[in-house]
Amino acid sequence: MKKQLILGLAVAAGLATGFGLDPAQAQKKSLVIGMGSADAGKLDPHLASTTPDKGLLNYIFNGLVRVKPGQASPDFIEPDLAESWTTNANGTEWTFKIRSGVQCHHGYGPFSAEDAAYSIKRASSKATSSYSGDFAAVDKVEAVDGSTLKITLKNPVAGFLGYVANINGGNMVCKKAAEEMGENFGKKPIGTGPFQFAEYQPQQFVKLTANKQYFRGAPVLEDITYRYIPADSSRDLAFQSGELDMIYGKQDQTWVDRTSKLPGVKVKAMEPGELSALYLNITSKPLDDIRVRQAIAHAIDRKAIVQFKGAGSSREAVSVVPSGYLGTDEKSPLYAYDVNRAKALLAEAGYPNGVTVKTIHTTLTGMQTFIEAVQAQLKKANINLEIELVEHATFHAQIRKGLSPIVHYQAARFPVADVYLTQFYDSASNIGTSTAITNFTFCNVADTEIRAARVEMDAAKQKALWKTAQEKLVTNVCGIPVYEQLQLWAWKDNLDLGYELNGSLNLSPPVTEKTKFTK
Amino acid sequence: MTAFLIRRLGFAVITLFAVLTLVFVLVRIVPGDPAQVILGDQASREAIEALRERLGLNLPLYHQYVVFVWGALGGDWGTSMMTGRPVIQEVLNVLPWTLELTFLSLLIGVVIGVPLGVAAAVRRNRFTDYAARIGSLLGLSFPPFVSALLLLLAFSIGLHWFPVISAKSGSLSAWVESITLPAINLGLITAAYITRVTRSAMLEVLQEDYVRTARAKGVPWTVVVWRHALRNALIPVITIIGLYLGILIGNSVLTEIVFSRPGLGKLIVGALNQRDYTMLQGMMVIYTLVVVLVNLATDIAYGIADPRVKFK
Repeated sequence: MKKQLILGLAVAAGLATGFGLDPAQAQKKSLVIGMGSADAGKLDPHLASTTPDKGLLNYIFNGLVRVKPGQASPDFIEPDLAESWTTNANGTEWTFKIRSGVQCHHGYGPFSAEDAAYSIKRASSKATSSYSGDFAAVDKVEAVDGSTLKITLKNPVAGFLGYVANINGGNMVCKKAAEEMGENFGKKPIGTGPFQFAEYQPQQFVKLTANKQYFRGAPVLEDITYRYIPADSSRDLAFQSGELDMIYGKQDQTWVDRTSKLPGVKVKAMEPGELSALYLNITSKPLDDIRVRQAIAHAIDRKAIVQFKGAGSSREAVSVVPSGYLGTDEKSPLYAYDVNRAKALLAEAGYPNGVTVKTIHTTLTGMQTFIEAVQAQLKKANINLEIELVEHATFHAQIRKGLSPIVHYQAARFPVADVYLTQFYDSASNIGTSTAITNFTFCNVADTEIRAARVEMDAAKQKALWKTAQEKLVTNVCGIPVYEQLQLWAWKDNLDLGYELNGSLNLSPPVTEKTKFTK
Repeated sequence: MTAFLIRRLGFAVITLFAVLTLVFVLVRIVPGDPAQVILGDQASREAIEALRERLGLNLPLYHQYVVFVWGALGGDWGTSMMTGRPVIQEVLNVLPWTLELTFLSLLIGVVIGVPLGVAAAVRRNRFTDYAARIGSLLGLSFPPFVSALLLLLAFSIGLHWFPVISAKSGSLSAWVESITLPAINLGLITAAYITRVTRSAMLEVLQEDYVRTARAKGVPWTVVVWRHALRNALIPVITIIGLYLGILIGNSVLTEIVFSRPGLGKLIVGALNQRDYTMLQGMMVIYTLVVVLVNLATDIAYGIADPRVKFK
């Protein structure tokens, strides 16, 4: 009750500042973020798989290494809990020197190599992690001593550091807390990051307080309230009224245009771009005929789609791998927009009067408007795209059963070409198999290159293999990449993030020890 | 009365059981896999199978059913597949929010709806009547999320009287700040409904012989209307209020979402989207219970409003 009262007072105080009733108040120290989901999901970093959960957990946890705040590319990997690291010549043995003097939240003691080893084992286990697959190549993890961690791999892994970075399975948990709480770890996640878990109110918010012992220095902000506000319009209004300092935007251009006009507001379309692509099942009729697939590729006007989606928040796709990833072929031979050529190809394939193809599609608004635009474009080439709309979870279930000959998928992955190529184009990932992930195409034309690149230690050779793989996939029209959707966020301009924001791997801007209000 | 109650409760148990079974089967017929939702779209087939096993989803359907019913009978409604928290705790967390909103909006509905309905009936085909009829038609036709947004735009953004995030607690003033707009939003719709029912019930009663008799022997018009006529017109109004209470609890979801309030509606929509089977089952028990109890309360209210009603 007392706690509620204090909370009530704090909220009332926040409200008063928000409404500008108390201009004499000292510098603001509480950050309120509005996220677009109805409630918290899994707050265990090794189980969290949604953008809202990942964004929040990023404030609580560190990795062995991290991508520099504000960046979304592995080029910016820098030390985090590990001060330094070395690897052997073929990349199968990694030794990390763990930073000393790092404290786990809520008095769970110092963070050591022991904790790091435990954490990686936890992330590798199917029973405790959604990301066990990422660690399939891990053979042995051991704490050589309190500050030395050694990881032995069965085979070299492209971009291995990405898996021990501060995202997904790379988030480092504190052993004592995780063992003590077991399955309940997600109810009070304990990490080493700048902010620590304080309170959860169902369907309302999670509150974090500053970790004064944070190894990079005590945060300037005192607390973060991470509010769950599923309605886009309500989030916008609460932002406008001053109740929220930072919001997850509605992912479309009209939102950008409208929000940019508000006074004292910064709007950012940040990396990574989620690639929207059509995946064609090459074993289904009539898509088994490459000329039909080529016709579809020729009939899609990427430029027009970007105009439709908004140039400020989207851009044309460059390859079957999103742009900017390590190994993306930024000039892959995509099919040019040419309706006549499309019609000619269809006629050649024996469909002079056009052809009908089907897709099962989600009702998520952003994705739906895209597929409707594509449908209109295809019609000009006499390709009739039948769209069967289903709700999102049904969509995910049905496309994995192979019921949709054309699958529209929109995704960002860890920015190394291998991840995208493996998940979407390696035949080992074919849906319906025991190792299935998201290969809806049943293509295997690039298996050799994808697999060879995965274990190639020579960076130049690896890039060349990835390039060939992408060329083959584009030429065979396994997938048709169309456009990339950037991540839209807005915040008050009196909030200084403490770094320059270009992007963020977990799709939410980091809040660091340096983040502060300037007035 | 006691026999009546026992019989009704017996029916309630049967209804509950039927609903439970139906829900159990229905949620599993709908395509979509909770394990996939939990693990996310990058999870491998193996990981998903392992989770299905942990959640007991790979057991034969009858086995799952027995486990579920056995648990439910013992008061264990399972844990949410998504959050790992007990279903009952998840429900109890948000139930007070839903109840306060529902009852307050019902109160607003009755306080506005009944007098307005009576006034419209008494001044039939005159200005008051037309205004009440058009007003209530508007109220019924307006989608609650649109009216909610308009209220927010006017009173939160325009006048700064209320917060946009209407979910504060801890003090009376904070509570009033948070509940006012949502309750008005739902309350006005309820009022529209009640106005129309009251009006038509009153119109019928006002033509009865005893009303004319009362008038003829010199009873003042207001007493005739409020004591003689309204009392008799109340039965259909109570029925509607009872039915509407059940609907209100379900319908509050849009209001909850726009005003960023916690609530049962949001919980059930979330559980449905995520295929959280255990959560859905638990929620359905609650909803059925509420509807059954409200119906029972309605029946009892008949007797209070009209002594001629006998409980058989």
